[in-house]
Order: sequence, then structure tokens, then C-alpha cells
Amino acid sequence: MSAGPAIAAEGLTKYYGRVIGIEDLSFQVERGEVYGFLGANGAGKTTTMRLLLDLLRPSRGRASVMGVDCHRDSLAARRQIGYLPGDLPIYPDLTAREYLAYLSRLDSRPVPREYLDRLLRRFDVSAVDERRRLREQSHGMKQKIGIIQALMMRPPVAILDEPTAGLDPLMVQAFRETVVDLKRAGDTTVFLSSHVLADVELTCDRIGLVRGGRLVASGTIDDIRRDATRRVTVTFADGSAPLVTDVRGPLGPLLASLAGRAIHDVAAEPFRLEDYVAQFYGGEPR
Amino acid sequence: MRTLLARSAVQARFVLIGSSALLCGFQMIVIGQAAEIQRTQTFGLVAELLPAFLQRGLGSRAMLLATFKGTVAFGYFHPVVCLVVAFVAMYIATEPAHEIESGLVDLELARAVPRLRLLTRSLLLAHLAIAAALALMFAGTAIGSRVFDTAGMDLPPAAMRLRLLANLGATASCFAGFALLIAAGSSRWVTAFTTAALTAVVLYLLDFLAIGWPAVKNVAWISPFHYYRALSIVAGDTSPWGDVSILVGAAAVCAAGAYWRFSRRDL
Repeated sequence: MSAGPAIAAEGLTKYYGRVIGIEDLSFQVERGEVYGFLGANGAGKTTTMRLLLDLLRPSRGRASVMGVDCHRDSLAARRQIGYLPGDLPIYPDLTAREYLAYLSRLDSRPVPREYLDRLLRRFDVSAVDERRRLREQSHGMKQKIGIIQALMMRPPVAILDEPTAGLDPLMVQAFRETVVDLKRAGDTTVFLSSHVLADVELTCDRIGLVRGGRLVASGTIDDIRRDATRRVTVTFADGSAPLVTDVRGPLGPLLASLAGRAIHDVAAEPFRLEDYVAQFYGGEPR
Repeated sequence: MRTLLARSAVQARFVLIGSSALLCGFQMIVIGQAAEIQRTQTFGLVAELLPAFLQRGLGSRAMLLATFKGTVAFGYFHPVVCLVVAFVAMYIATEPAHEIESGLVDLELARAVPRLRLLTRSLLLAHLAIAAALALMFAGTAIGSRVFDTAGMDLPPAAMRLRLLANLGATASCFAGFALLIAAGSSRWVTAFTTAALTAVVLYLLDFLAIGWPAVKNVAWISPFHYYRALSIVAGDTSPWGDVSILVGAAAVCAAGAYWRFSRRDL
């Protein structure tokens, strides 16, 4: 395993016949980073993830995980990955415990018992829940089991497709804490997609936005926050009409332009990732 | 591999147990009926009931069906038996299409599991299922001969029954390979299994019609059932091993095609 980014895509392209899945996608995710991969439905997020797992074969370009080519050395690449599919498939006849045991036996990677127990506790999966058949479990419980199976062998790279879908607020919090723990430990890179932008804002170091199969924006959350357009309302002590304006970047130039006027208050709307992301959402013909 | 194999076996357990019990029970019923006809000495009537086209097509070998030995052996090449064994093999061999359809392939192949192992697992399990079904058919004859007290009757020798079973197993193996080839390119299990099963029925009818319809004889060679010349084996006219080689060869070609197709496709 060579040094370098945890995940790298170079000109990654996937066509489904004449439909573009993704096109010329290039990005890197550094080791230990939590990367949010965002986009509207059908933008190409799941396609990208399935290309990293070699479930799909690229039409062009290449991708690597921990320096290992995802297609040419697929087994070695997958040995680095824990994956949560967007729509978790189950064996309805298995209990949660049997399901996790089956998936761990499929793998040559050991599952640290202590870590698995910690995940089960954190996601509030009781011994009773573990003994219930998956067909009898709620959607949220299945999702928790899905997150646990992806993380239980402490993979160097966790690829999580919509991890918080169907989770209650407490479990969303548990997921955030888990990601923060992984980030703190620094030995797992997390590549996740989510439509819950609050999760992304709270957990991700960096985001990439795909639209129509192409990467249209990327950057750290801090950079985006700094660079985001905010609505600023300035009220004046003399009772004149307030000034409402959109400001991109620091407020210094705006305040400098108002020098000499008696300012009563300056209110800037807090940065919301939703507002930033919304401009990139919306379909485009493929 | 053992983990995948065990999971698939558990999932298919009802089909495996049900079909094996059916095939075993079928042999017992056949031997019971044959014993009854023998005791009442009415095989002559059975001979009269044989359709004329069968007698024309099969020649003197058709008369074997009107003997105790031939009737018991018929349990090994009855259309229901041939098709059930083939269906069981195809049911299991098409599992990869189910895994793709249900998304289970995403879980399995997100781990360090070689992609082609899914096919190897299905092929192996299909053959284990065939072997189990055939073993239970053999056991069914043994149990039936005890239950219906066939001592003194002309039971087909064990070596002959084993030759019939080997040929039947090779026929089912050929269908397993064919079903795997279909499944390797399918994304829906129903499509894969229905295609394979309907093809098997059509090919059986083709081989059957060739008995009395010379025009069909020219194309009957494409049917795997054409290479299961059971009556010739019962008559002792032919050794099955040449036909078995053809069937196993066809199964290997289909399996190779399936591996090639599955290794290149999107899942």
C-alpha cells in the first residue's frame, strides 16, 4: 500500500448506454479526512461509490483506494473498504447477530470484538435486538446494523451512502459522534453522501458537489463558509431605512463603506450549507 | 467459500429438501406400482397401452417399458424426474441474478470476496444438490424394493441404475451451466430462471417429439436430453460415458461463458 490520498479519482467516467452516470470526475480524499459527497438524486454519487468498489466498471478514467487501483487490484482495494449501501440489502431470515457474523466471516479482516460492542452500545442495539430476525426489525434498526457492518472491522476507508437516512435524532447524534471519534483516531477516512446537510456541516472536513455527473464544486467547509454569500442587514441609529445586502466574504469592505454613519446594529444571517448547496441542485439534461 | 456455500444452502433448503423428498418418494411409488403390475401379471396390458408412435420410434426397446425392470428404470428418466432435477440445478445456478437484483452483491463484493466466487459457489451448490437428489433417488429405489418386497423380481442392477443416474446428473449439470450463463448476464432472477426453465421444457419436448417426428430429429441434437439415451442404457446397447462427456463438456463451455460474462459486466 503506497502513501498518498485515501481515495483518488482521475477522469473517472461511467456511461450507462447514452446516459451519463458520471463524467471526468477527478478528486482526492486525504487520509483521515471526512469527505461529504453531495448532489441531488441521480447526480452520480452512488455510481461513484460503486465504481470505487469495482461493482461498476468505468467507461474511462481510474480510481484508487489507499493507492490501490480499484479495478486492476480490486480485491486489495476492497480489503481497505467498509461500505454501507444506500439501500441496505438484508437476509430476512437472519438475526442481526447472525447477519453481522456472516458478513464478518466473508472477510479475512478480523472484527475487534471490543469495537463491535462499542458500536452496538453507541447505536443502542440491545441483545434483544441482536436476536431478532431482520425482517422483524424497523427501517431505522436495519440502518443502524448497516452502519455497524460497514465500520465493525475498522476499515481504513469507510464509504457510506446516506448513512443517516431513517435514523431518529438520537441515532443521528450517535452517528455524528462515531464519525468524530474516527476523525480523532485518524486511521479511518470517511467518504459519505447525505442529503442531511446539517450532518455534513457538522462532520465533514471537505465536501464535493456533483451535478449531472460532474464535480461542480469542492472545498473545505471553512473555506466555503468564509466564501459564502450572506444576507446582511444594517440598521442605523438615525432611524433611516435599513440596508439589506448580500455579502460574499468578509464584512470589512461593507462596514468600511458605511464609515461615518451611525450604525445601530449589523445582523448577518448565519452560514447555512443548504443555501450554498441549493444553488448547485436542480437537474440538468444528460 | 464455505460461508457463501452454507448461506446459499440454507436459503435454498426448502427447495432442496422438498425436491429431494419428491424424487425419493417418486422412486418408491414407481417401484410400488411396478411390483403390483408384476404380481397381477398385467405387464402385457401395459405393452398394449404404449402409444404406437413410441413403439415405432423406439423399436423393440419400447417393450422394455412393459417390464418390471424397465418400469423401475423409467423412474430415472420420467419427464417429471428429468425436469425436476434440471429445475433444482437451475434454481440454484441462477442465484447470482437474485443477488444482483436484491443488492446483496453490494454487501458481499464490498468485501475481499473475488467476484467470480459467487459463480463458483452457485455451480458447486447446484452440483451438490444434483448429487443429493440422485443419491436420494437411488435410496428411494432401495427403500421401495424393501417396502414392496420385490425379492425375486427383476430389479435393474445397481450398476445400471448408477449409469442412468450418472447420465441424468450430467444432463442436469449441463442445465446448471446453461442457467449460470443466463444468470451471469441477468439483473432479475425471475427473468433468468424462467428463461432457463422454459428452455429446458422446450428442449425436452424437442427430444421427445424427435422419437416420432423425423423432421425434428435433425435438430434434436441441440437438446441435452438427446444425450440421455436411457432406454439404450437399460437395454445394455450403449455405454453412457460418451454422452456424459458431451454433456459435461457443454456444461463446462456454458460455465466458462458465464465466468467471462460475469467478470466483465456491471453489477
